[in-house]
Amino acid sequence: MGRAKIKRGSTNIDMTAMCDVAFLLLSFFILTTKFKPSEAIDVVTPNSVASKAAPETDAFTVSLDKAGKVYIDMAQSMKADVFDEVNTAKNLGLTPEDKKLFSQATFVGVPFGQLKQFLRIDPENLKNTNLSGIPVDSSNNELQAWINAVLNAYKGRKQPNFLIKGDNNAKYTSFKGIISAFKKNEIFKYLLVTNPEGVPPGTALYENNMHPAAPGTTETP
Amino acid sequence: MAEMEVKSGGGHKKGPGVKKGKKLSTRVDLTPMCDLGFLLITFFIFTTTMAQPRAMNLSMPKDSDKPDDLTKIKESGALTILMGKGNVVYYYFANDPTKIQTTGFKDIRKIIIDKKKTTPADDLFITIKPDKDATYKNAVDILDEMSINDIRRYAMMDPTDDEYKLIQMTEQAGGIK
Repeated sequence: MGRAKIKRGSTNIDMTAMCDVAFLLLSFFILTTKFKPSEAIDVVTPNSVASKAAPETDAFTVSLDKAGKVYIDMAQSMKADVFDEVNTAKNLGLTPEDKKLFSQATFVGVPFGQLKQFLRIDPENLKNTNLSGIPVDSSNNELQAWINAVLNAYKGRKQPNFLIKGDNNAKYTSFKGIISAFKKNEIFKYLLVTNPEGVPPGTALYENNMHPAAPGTTETP
Repeated sequence: MAEMEVKSGGGHKKGPGVKKGKKLSTRVDLTPMCDLGFLLITFFIFTTTMAQPRAMNLSMPKDSDKPDDLTKIKESGALTILMGKGNVVYYYFANDPTKIQTTGFKDIRKIIIDKKKTTPADDLFITIKPDKDATYKNAVDILDEMSINDIRRYAMMDPTDDEYKLIQMTEQAGGIK
């Protein structure tokens, strides 16, 4: 009766603290995460030292893939207006049903003539379909008409952000076609989408960043 | 938190006839929850995209038919950079395309810096001429080089026929494909 019991050390570890940390981190990642939108067009953008984040609102993006084909996509808010503008300007004779499909489409990558069929391609198959891209040749520059439609849709309002997203291996000729399409619409300022890259030490920009007192704007005159 | 000890009420005394209720442990095993937490963390770490795409400003001049509107460039401050096939860069000073020299993207920075040092800031003007075999990356890289070296005045245009011929001759001689 009088035997002393040997106390067993418990093997239970208190998980509360670890669980707290885990969920704290979890909430951080949930809040900061931004899912990569699955992109139908495969574009690997070049690197640049540009530090400005690409705007996402009111964006009209012209993508240029490695084969030199041009695609456009635009913010959801401008789709309906742009569709109406293009439809009337080019006499495409598209129906309200087409308009609905257009607002669901993630991008446009065909000449006007094929737009109707393009909108009926199942999104699942879109990636495997061989699209011809929007023509940007000097003889037939349909991108120009698209940009014109965007400008008309935005008449009297602040201009949308024009973004150009090109692939590393795209030929300069196609890029020039895009530029001339913008130029003909009297648009001279656009943004090139790039991946961030470190500024090489010792260069003028690096020094400017180190000593922000000296104003160092690197803009074209 | 997980183990909330339910203390037997201190002051409240139960009568002799009241049976003591059996105390169930309130300890919850948090191990599965912790596992789940870390699993989700791993998922979010992998799917998250930290590096947001950046945008580079590009301004193009308006095309003009009137020669009076064209920017006048001092010959002493002019540097023309041409780009051809296979990431090769060509350059010449002043306005003498026959003195074209070949270089690469690694060395062009030094050439730009040297030119910048030896020229008054207001005279320096760099003309960028990517030919039709250059890639979009080449164009962006060279524009990037302009912002890296803080070049305020530069323009982008097409190479002239003579320049294009010179590039092609160099390419053929050097076997650049």
